[in-house]
Amino acid sequence: MEMFLMGLCVSVFGLAVAAVAFGAATRAEAPAPVVQPAIAAPKEAPARFFSDGVVPAVPAVRPQIPIEVLLQQIENHVRLEQAVAESFLEFPTHAVLHSKTTSALVN
Amino acid sequence: MTYELLNGLSPAEVDQVLALGARMKVPSGASLFRLGDPADCLFLMERGQLRLTLPMKVRGREQDVLIEEKSPGQTVGWSALIAPYRFTLSATASLETEVIALSREKLQAYIEAWPAVGCKITFNLAVVIGRRLQLVQAMWLREIQRTVELRSA
Repeated sequence: MEMFLMGLCVSVFGLAVAAVAFGAATRAEAPAPVVQPAIAAPKEAPARFFSDGVVPAVPAVRPQIPIEVLLQQIENHVRLEQAVAESFLEFPTHAVLHSKTTSALVN
Repeated sequence: MTYELLNGLSPAEVDQVLALGARMKVPSGASLFRLGDPADCLFLMERGQLRLTLPMKVRGREQDVLIEEKSPGQTVGWSALIAPYRFTLSATASLETEVIALSREKLQAYIEAWPAVGCKITFNLAVVIGRRLQLVQAMWLREIQRTVELRSA
């Protein structure tokens, strides 16, 4: 009987050790995803893989306006810019040269 | 009518120069000259309006984009006096327009015959070209500034 109890105790103890070991083993795998963000830093690389190295300055997706409107905007832009350039020739100052435009083409 | 190219000339001298030219009517929408055409004549604007344009690709299509507008009294086509004598812009009438076409040959012969008048005309031409250069310089710098700001944004 004593032998049986001792065997039982050893079995229970062995099972407990195995359970603890299993628990430890599975806990060791769980934290891995927590560590991942630290190595996810160089994320920009895939985005620029096919680019020519020029970072687009404007959002890639813009609502496309009709070509007639675009041409009109270019024409207005040229007129506005010429008016500014003429003002600059009359009064050549830094402020006039770098004055902001209201042109829809660039705003 | 006062012509910028003939500033400082006496009325008699103006008449002499204008007599060298031929009046031409350009209907609204018609072309006076195209980019790359041989430039044999200089034009004095008499009435109407001319659009000076350059071709630009817009959404894959070539479009004539406005560079400058010319109104009565102004000079158009000074490529006729500068080698290689090819127009570097296209000119189209946006209204019914009338110009006085001065051929290079006749103008040069007149300038050689009347150097004092020729000197005034040449000086006026320098003013016209210089002003265009200054305008384009200022416009170009503003475009470069915008590009730099976009790059730095």
